[in-house]
Amino acid sequence: MAGEFFSLVRMPLIAFVGGFLVVGGWIWAPQISSLVQSQFSGGPSVSMFADTNRIGRPEVAPVVRSCIFKVMDIGVDATKMEPSAAYFILKAGSMQANVSTMLGKSDGWSEIQKGNLAASWGQLASCIYALEDRQLCDPDNRAAAVEATMKFFGYAKQIEGSMPGSDARAMENLRDRLLIVLKNHRRYGTLIASDFGSFAPAEILQVMRSEQKETRDICKR
Amino acid sequence: MDFLKRAAFVLGGIFLGINLINYFVMGHTGDYLPGGERMGEWRAAKIREACYPALEAPERDGLLPKLSTDTHRVDWRDLDRTRDMTAALNCYLVTHPNAVCERNNRAYIVDYINHYFAKFDEMMNTAKRYGEAEMSTVRKLWDSPRNRAINAALLQDTSSGRLIKADFGWSVPTAMKPMLDRYKGTSDNCPKA
Repeated sequence: MAGEFFSLVRMPLIAFVGGFLVVGGWIWAPQISSLVQSQFSGGPSVSMFADTNRIGRPEVAPVVRSCIFKVMDIGVDATKMEPSAAYFILKAGSMQANVSTMLGKSDGWSEIQKGNLAASWGQLASCIYALEDRQLCDPDNRAAAVEATMKFFGYAKQIEGSMPGSDARAMENLRDRLLIVLKNHRRYGTLIASDFGSFAPAEILQVMRSEQKETRDICKR
Repeated sequence: MDFLKRAAFVLGGIFLGINLINYFVMGHTGDYLPGGERMGEWRAAKIREACYPALEAPERDGLLPKLSTDTHRVDWRDLDRTRDMTAALNCYLVTHPNAVCERNNRAYIVDYINHYFAKFDEMMNTAKRYGEAEMSTVRKLWDSPRNRAINAALLQDTSSGRLIKADFGWSVPTAMKPMLDRYKGTSDNCPKA
């Protein structure tokens, strides 16, 4: 009986799934492509599998409001622009760089662009971490910190070796500073390994998964 | 008989799949509104094009929704959508009060009203996560002079029978249910052609 039913529904099911894949694929292909790219090329975004109680919406985070215009030079429009829109511009620039990488267009210009993106995300992460530690107890703020950190490390890795000496040193210093800050936040319990997901750059995972036990959870105060 | 059953299942699957894609992926929710004498073809609505100018520069209209505070969690895309939807619906209902009397326009406007209230509900659901202060920010955002004019126009249209519950089919927005129920059975006062 069950077999007969299955044989009856099999064809419409295949037709439906096939149709959905074709039409849905056509419509969602750009998003899927950029998602895959952001996961594996330009430093992943916030993990898709992260706990939603811990990781919120980075674009509306108060820390982004405080920091984004220190990183993005929007000009006179900055006063009229919503911080979440400026954050979106930074993300859109990252997507564009990811597409260039995907298409194999790795010329001088795209290297400079990646360098700028690494610097911007790094400055954003630094600015966020310079604020009060407890700010990262807020899921949106935490998401912004996680995303900025991962993007910085992702782009920094891509341009490794292709930067002039002074820029490379500055990038290295920023990287070291961020790793120290990450260690501290791990101890405070404001950031944990799962916030970064499984596709985080190796340096981050190394810090977040180190054996050292967290000493306190400042968010529970 | 077996062949007929199989064919019916295949055709049913294709029909269901096409409709699910049309509704959820393409977002053509207007296709699923009730038909009949009162409701025409939403795609043929002339009011849509007539109101394009209202959407050209919504930022210049000081009466459209504005955020009342800088400390909010409203995404700029939601903010833009709120302004656009308010500007459009204001044009459909307030600037052109008789547009809803035409069958095609009515179908389009009813569909738009559904989207308008769905967006408000969606933003309120997001705001709920952040507490009462954020919910109040969203409520204030959706309480601009244009939004209030839309509400007044909706009340006017339901009280005069220009919009009735049957026009919305199974998708009556919660916010509109009380007024549609209150004026149930009212015959419309649209100017006769």
